[in-house]
Amino acid sequence: MTNYFYVAPEQLIKDRATFAQKGIARGRSILASTYDLGVVMVAENPSASLNKISEIYDRIAFAGVGKYNEFDRLREAGIRWADGTGFTYSRDDVAARSLANYYAQHMGDMFSEGPKPLEVEILVAQLGNRFRETKLYRIAYEGTISDEEHFAVLGGDAESVKARFATTYVENMDLSTTLKNATAALAGPERTIPVGDLEVGILEDRGVRRTFLRLPDSEVSGLLAG
Amino acid sequence: MGLPLFSAPDDPGPSFYDYAKASGLNFALSSHDTTVAHATTVIAVRYVGGVVLVGDRQATGNYIASRDVRKIEPADRYTALAISGTAARGMEFIRMAQLSFEHYEKMTDGALSLEGKANYLSPIIQQNNLTTPLMVLPLLAGWDPSHQVGRIFEYDGAGGCYERMDFSTIGSGSPFAESALRLGFRTDLDLEGAFELGALALYEAGDNDPSTGGPDFVRNIYPMMVVIDSSGFRELTTDDVSARFRAINERRTSTGGIPGGTLR
Repeated sequence: MTNYFYVAPEQLIKDRATFAQKGIARGRSILASTYDLGVVMVAENPSASLNKISEIYDRIAFAGVGKYNEFDRLREAGIRWADGTGFTYSRDDVAARSLANYYAQHMGDMFSEGPKPLEVEILVAQLGNRFRETKLYRIAYEGTISDEEHFAVLGGDAESVKARFATTYVENMDLSTTLKNATAALAGPERTIPVGDLEVGILEDRGVRRTFLRLPDSEVSGLLAG
Repeated sequence: MGLPLFSAPDDPGPSFYDYAKASGLNFALSSHDTTVAHATTVIAVRYVGGVVLVGDRQATGNYIASRDVRKIEPADRYTALAISGTAARGMEFIRMAQLSFEHYEKMTDGALSLEGKANYLSPIIQQNNLTTPLMVLPLLAGWDPSHQVGRIFEYDGAGGCYERMDFSTIGSGSPFAESALRLGFRTDLDLEGAFELGALALYEAGDNDPSTGGPDFVRNIYPMMVVIDSSGFRELTTDDVSARFRAINERRTSTGGIPGGTLR
């Protein structure tokens, strides 16, 4: 008979949480905020091709911090879920809340039962319309899902970024001001983030079905200067 | 449906069709004895700035089931799909193709090439046509942004994909449309010339093929006319199309229905 060392469940959860937090803290934060016409997501990301912010569906976007391979797999699963649901039912039946719940369940399962917890924190953003509200769902590594009002921050430095952004946030600001405040909040008082290191995506109604738009550097610099 | 996660070796990648198969979203087909004619005419003509498509609007079974069916749909910004064959399978095919192109774009953050789209459809057509008598024969036409030309791809019953450098027709009215196109096609067609030729070829098909709906002046329903060029997919307005078919009709009326030895 094999003897196992006894580890108290409290200790196990604590160890797993510390492990996940450490992984997440290594990456830069992401800030998502509503503005007068939609939702903007801003990430500090030196890579132009390994995205942290992506389109999931017509009015739903995804952002992830932490281990790239882990949140990218969640992103892919989200696109598949959304396209599959829209194909089976209708495009109108694809809602961010359902997707956020599936993510939360999976991340919760991985935290308590998986070989190791996922070292990621993700955001599911939804642009509202006549029958759905604008929503920002933040899902933490252990599956905690929170419905954030107006803005949300992911990543290791989330609390201080959030505190900085909160001092400047006013409802229904325009995109340019929101983006400037978001960039300043992400950078902190001691540094500035070069435009080339910013990844910016928006959800905004522009008269087309797909509301997600990745903003090119040229447009980001224009908005930051404007 | 839960969160569709796959382990690395089982991952269907950016192909929505493979994902749909893996997760049972599209069902297996059972074979039975109905065969359905390709009661349609859709024409695609290349011109110097892109591709023009013209398609009739009639759905025909044993009788006319509908007079305002759309047989040409945008698959994405730069491509159009046209269908002939069984309506139900054709509509599902268009849905699958539209979703697949968008799915690929979202998964990989880059658009499929036009040739990639054409090849992607081959096994889907093969799968459908070799397992059921409910045939679908589509046509893919679009603007190729990497080569800056309009291109047309047609398919055979087994899913074979062939690029056409001039024009292509699908459906039961094809022989009649094809005759007009063969006489009228030039490599230097401009947009107006391509619209004119396409409309004329469809008029011929509607005139001779009982399953192709020509212009319906009584109900004000006209064939669809579409252009895809460097700025994308654009459909002509009913008024525009109506004027073109009225002009052909008046010419024919003035000669008692005889084209008169020229393409008019």
